[in-house]
Amino acid sequence: MSILADLPISLIVLCSGLGLVLIGLWGMLTQRNMIRMIVGFSLTDTGVHMVMVSIGYVTGGTAPIINDAVPMADAVNRVVDPVPSALVLTAIVIGLGVTAVMLSYAVRIYKARKTLMIDECTESKW
Amino acid sequence: MVSSFFSDILLHPLGIYVLALGAGFLIPLFDRAHRGSAVLVFFAALAGMVAIAGLNLLAIVNGAPSIDIETAGIAPPFSINLRFGLLEGGFVLAVNTAALLAAWHCLPALRQHASALLLFLIMVMGINGMIMTRDLFNLFIFIEITSIATYALIGMERTGSVLAAGFKYIIATSVATTFFLLGTIFIYYQVGTLNIDDIIVHADLIQGPIGFIATLFVLTSLLIELKPYPANGWGLDVYETAHSGIASLISVGVSAGVFFAIYKVLPLMDSYLTSIAFIGGATFLVSNIIGLKQDNARRLLGYSSIGQMGLLTLALALLLQLEASSQLVLVVGGLFINHMLAKAGLFWLAGIIDRSQLKDWCAIAQRPGLLLLLGIMMAALIGLPPFPGFWAKWQLVMILAEGGQYLWIAVVLIGSLLEAAYLFRWFSHARGTDNNSMGDSSTDEVPPQAVVSLAQQLPVAIATLLLFVIGYVMALAMNIETPGMFLPLLAGFALWLIDGIRGRLKALAMLLVVGAGGYWLTNDLDGINRLFSYLLVGGGLLVSIAVMYRNDDRRGFYPLLAVLLLSLAVLLRAKTSLEFFFGWELMTLSSYLLVTLGRNGVKPALNYLLFSLASAYFILAGFALAYAASGSLLLSDLGNSGDSIGLIFSLLAIGFVIKMGGFGVHIWLPGAYAEADDDFTALLSAVVSKAGIFGLVLIAANLGVQSDIGLDPTYVLGWIGILTATFGALMAVFQEDIKRMVAYSSMGQLGYIVTGIALMSHLGWVSALYMTVNHFLFKGILFLSIAGIVLRTNERMMYKMGGLIKNMPFTFVFTMIAIIAMSGVPPLTGFGGKWMLFNALMDKGWYFIAAFAFFSSAVAFLYMFRLLQTVFLGQRKLEHAQLREAPAILLAPQFIMIAAIMVISAYPRLLLDPLSAAIDPWISNTLVWEGFALQTQYGYWNAPMIMAVVGGVWMVPLIILLLVSLTMKIQKVEQFNIVYAAERPHRPEDTHFAYNFFAHYDRAIGFLVRPRATAFWNAAVEWSHTLASSLRVFYNGNGQTYALFILMYFVAMVLFNGGLGS
Amino acid sequence: MIAEWIGKIGNFTLTLLIVTAYGLFMTAFIERIIAKVQGRIGIPYWQPVINILKNFFKRTAVSHGYMFYLGPVFRIAGGIGTLAFIPVIYGSETFSNFSMAGDLFLVIYFMFFGQLGMALGAGESGHPYSAIGIARGLSQMTAYEVPFALAVISIVIQYDTLSITEIVAAQQGGWENWTVFTNWVATLAAMLAFLGMTGYSPFDIFLAPQEIPIGPPTEFHSAYLSFMSLNRALFGATKLVLFMNLFFGGATGLLELMIKTWLIYMVAIVIGVSFPRFRVDQAIRFFFKIPTLIGIMSIVYAQMMLTS
Repeated sequence: MSILADLPISLIVLCSGLGLVLIGLWGMLTQRNMIRMIVGFSLTDTGVHMVMVSIGYVTGGTAPIINDAVPMADAVNRVVDPVPSALVLTAIVIGLGVTAVMLSYAVRIYKARKTLMIDECTESKW
Repeated sequence: MVSSFFSDILLHPLGIYVLALGAGFLIPLFDRAHRGSAVLVFFAALAGMVAIAGLNLLAIVNGAPSIDIETAGIAPPFSINLRFGLLEGGFVLAVNTAALLAAWHCLPALRQHASALLLFLIMVMGINGMIMTRDLFNLFIFIEITSIATYALIGMERTGSVLAAGFKYIIATSVATTFFLLGTIFIYYQVGTLNIDDIIVHADLIQGPIGFIATLFVLTSLLIELKPYPANGWGLDVYETAHSGIASLISVGVSAGVFFAIYKVLPLMDSYLTSIAFIGGATFLVSNIIGLKQDNARRLLGYSSIGQMGLLTLALALLLQLEASSQLVLVVGGLFINHMLAKAGLFWLAGIIDRSQLKDWCAIAQRPGLLLLLGIMMAALIGLPPFPGFWAKWQLVMILAEGGQYLWIAVVLIGSLLEAAYLFRWFSHARGTDNNSMGDSSTDEVPPQAVVSLAQQLPVAIATLLLFVIGYVMALAMNIETPGMFLPLLAGFALWLIDGIRGRLKALAMLLVVGAGGYWLTNDLDGINRLFSYLLVGGGLLVSIAVMYRNDDRRGFYPLLAVLLLSLAVLLRAKTSLEFFFGWELMTLSSYLLVTLGRNGVKPALNYLLFSLASAYFILAGFALAYAASGSLLLSDLGNSGDSIGLIFSLLAIGFVIKMGGFGVHIWLPGAYAEADDDFTALLSAVVSKAGIFGLVLIAANLGVQSDIGLDPTYVLGWIGILTATFGALMAVFQEDIKRMVAYSSMGQLGYIVTGIALMSHLGWVSALYMTVNHFLFKGILFLSIAGIVLRTNERMMYKMGGLIKNMPFTFVFTMIAIIAMSGVPPLTGFGGKWMLFNALMDKGWYFIAAFAFFSSAVAFLYMFRLLQTVFLGQRKLEHAQLREAPAILLAPQFIMIAAIMVISAYPRLLLDPLSAAIDPWISNTLVWEGFALQTQYGYWNAPMIMAVVGGVWMVPLIILLLVSLTMKIQKVEQFNIVYAAERPHRPEDTHFAYNFFAHYDRAIGFLVRPRATAFWNAAVEWSHTLASSLRVFYNGNGQTYALFILMYFVAMVLFNGGLGS
Repeated sequence: MIAEWIGKIGNFTLTLLIVTAYGLFMTAFIERIIAKVQGRIGIPYWQPVINILKNFFKRTAVSHGYMFYLGPVFRIAGGIGTLAFIPVIYGSETFSNFSMAGDLFLVIYFMFFGQLGMALGAGESGHPYSAIGIARGLSQMTAYEVPFALAVISIVIQYDTLSITEIVAAQQGGWENWTVFTNWVATLAAMLAFLGMTGYSPFDIFLAPQEIPIGPPTEFHSAYLSFMSLNRALFGATKLVLFMNLFFGGATGLLELMIKTWLIYMVAIVIGVSFPRFRVDQAIRFFFKIPTLIGIMSIVYAQMMLTS
């Protein structure tokens, strides 16, 4: 309680985000099955999103809506930075797109070669 | 009102996006009705994108301000903005044009799915966005848009290998972009903005480990997208397998976008410029080494693509580092546009010809149009004139030299040479390794030829045209003398247009064009250049008369010959080193292509080209150093190069000596001379080789004398020359092939000239120039005689000839006189050259070189006699009994040259006075004339008197013999009527002593001339292949390995730049 | 001008006759010496003259073609021409010939003229032995040319001139001024080369009287052969004169000329009768070894002479 309470929530998110990135990368590098690799990518992507969110968070901040409660002059210190949140939305959409393409590739590769093992797809080399 | 709507709204750069997205909605709609109409919409949108980019760029070039696009009416940095400036406009226009051509190329594939049309537009739009956006996150978006569209387009073809390659590509690029996103967000964390301009302004806020990691992530992920070695296997796989149109767009379009993105963020990366240059340089070099071993055409293009992007990266980083950003447009822009058009063109060619293995490309051996396109693309890619790459590379090397970056110059030049090696090896395959142009014994089957429609060639042809146009524009920008310097190309083009008419008519037209053009180019020259213009242009025309002995089609021969001869004139006309180099490369290229037209010329031609290019790169390096030292491109300023004069002289001399076939680097020479067309060999030896001599004289005059420092390189050059003479002669002795023998002889004779120039004395130079003229005369005669012999006998092996004096008396007499003139036996011209050279050598104190000169001229007697004996004398083969004399048109130029030899022999002063006057500006005259006798410190030479005495002592016995003949019965006897071991021989083959004529000489000192140089160069090839094998072990085809390399690349970048502690 | 030329031609004709007669005499003389060594009596002194006259007046001849016909002409023109460019007797206008036309270098290169022409003539005969003989002879020539060239370069360094007259002039004033004593290294190299040049044993394989009956001239007969024999005598004597001029102080009178050239010739003869024949590749290797080394030393020696 004591240590965790002192830690700003954004740092926890940041660290777990970075952790997810590493786990995802580990997955992409060690799992020979393409579907698992895609899962790894998804994890990495999510990790990055968490990092992004954590960057803009202000501990104890409020929503970035400038009205009577949050006067203009005070806004910088009191509101959460809205930009990272906006970016994350975009990034999620893009990540989704990439994941979808990856999955469709996996499907087609399976149809074409009856395997999902990446180390069996090495005919182009040197 | 309408017009303003047009120009403000429709033609605004934003229209590019409007068109892409709008068409994206319309295409599915129209597709419902009819696929064709969807295609129409597609092309309309693409054409509109090109037009918008073009018109806006035109406006900016004409002085309009660059266009900033703001979103939502809010000014940056609070909104995303796009910019369309000069550079952006150029890139966008180039990419969209390439996309339009690529779309035409892969239309058959695209129109199978309406969605492919749509994706194609999205991809192009994404690239446009990458170029134009000024927002870091927005850049990420555009990269991803482009990537997703690319992924989908790669997957258009559903074969296993394409899909596998595509999957690897996705894994790799998504790992890279993940890091890009992380870097972006960290930068935002520190600077608080995503606007690139704003970030640059507040670059000081990026600091500490986070800042370091952030910038490095952004930079490295963008670099990864450019596929640096060794983290690029995924890119190669896609280049190899994806549809050629898509691959071309990845190579030139996506790469262009990423490259421009790097350029945009580079102001943040000042401290990493060295790393970037290193990455670029290593990628350029290594890709080109690995390319040497590649047999798959498409994968080869992949290596070339990666290499070219490496070169671009290298150039960009170094230019910024050297604070030469004003040259960015010329160098980086030039390299980019060159790569774009040429590489895309090659991808398209690879697509329409559709042969994966290089050796299968002989499928276009009988398709001159396709060969031409292929050749032009390759020439452009390795930076031969007049294409944009030539000017850009020149300028790059000059800037590097100014900045003292010699190592980088070496990287650029070595990489280019390697690239030339594999590209032209490919061209050789396409050219077909064996094309009996004489039509004899061509019983071997022609492989099935590729069928290609004109419409398929259209994009490649347009790219070719653009290459020429942009090359010309760049030439204007470089202040090259136009149109003079482009005259060779114009003449070649004009002759190519009439290449369909009959052989002799074409030859006549060529002679007229070259005569007029040559006169126009050289009539205002003076001094030594004028002298050489008589020799190169006048002499070239004289020898070229002989080409009319053939009346066959000879496709491409006459245009190329015109280019070659006029490029020699350009060389003489050159005032600056750039113009000289331009002419030099033009000469190299055209003579290479001419050699490939020979019977088995393709392989030797490749050797010839590679050695010529190496020679050209030495010359380029020399000129660059001179420019750096003297700050001037003028050839006459070469001497103002201060301390580095020795190095410059050495580099240039090496270049010229390679081109002349110097000892050790001669191995290209016999093959090229022997396999070129017979009449062209005469030109190569008699005329083209003189270009190297001209170069040597030029540098000796401008570098050697003005600086009064004892130039040691000249002594080395003197030895190189004489060793060339000795070994050339020795190797000639052991040849069975008549053309190879005379080729080696040519090498040897040029060796004396090199030594003469190296003497750096008046007499030495006079002797060199005198020998140059003499060499032109006797080698012209010899090779034209040989052309006649080969024409009649269809044979090149000397032991298969014999006794031809009976059939070809004129050819024999001409050959004999040429050989006496070559041998140095008085009274003909050769003696004067040897005498002056010997005197000059003694004067200089180079006694052992003089001894070698003696020895080599004695050895020369062996092969000279052998030529006459085994071809013209001895026993005639039975099947040669009916042969006729060589055609008159072949004998005519020989006769003129014989006359010249006779006149010069009797009155050498006619030649020596102008030679001496031409040298006078550099070294004052030391020739002392006493009447007709030339005096030197050591001896004297009275040529007319020698001529008279020799004539007298020859005539008197002849008259006596004739008188005796009157009194006695002289009976002409038949063949075989000889005293032969009490037996009458009946077969010439048994009796004609010709094969292995100097077997005993071989037993005595043959060990000296075992082909060591050839073995060395073969070993060098072997080593480079081994090196290539060990460098490409990373490309094991496994997508996970590739991803691992990308991760390691990030780690390496961090460590290389000092780790987190910095 | 014309009178001057006529005078010169007259003088040269005289020189030519004397040298030829001397050459013929010496041919016989040497033949007799060799015969004595071998225990025979040998030929009479006038035998060479008789041979030449007999061949010259033969009534019939065959021709293999125009180059064959011209071969002997080239050959003897080479011999006469070489003599024409050498001053035979020092200080004598009569015997200076046409040496003002060119220097030592001219003489050395002109020696090839006759050999090349004869070789071509022999070649047209179509006889393989001719070609074999020439191939061997030329190969051997390239080899002995090396020590000879080195020796010549050495004496050109020593005397600082290429003019034969001046080289002889520099050796006047006593035997100690002769090249053989001032520059014995160069003389040694040149004399070794001389052995090859004269074509006696051990360097006579290109003539090989047994295996390839008299080599290059195999097919020549009647008048052609008489030209060849005449030249052999003339050319041999000319070479001796050249060597005498370069290395043995030249001659100021005919008697001195005859004694010196005879002695020089004897070197070749003594060695010739004492040694068996080299194969041609052995001969080539021989010249590239010791004689070449001596030649190189002679250049070093000459340079040392100049500096000291």
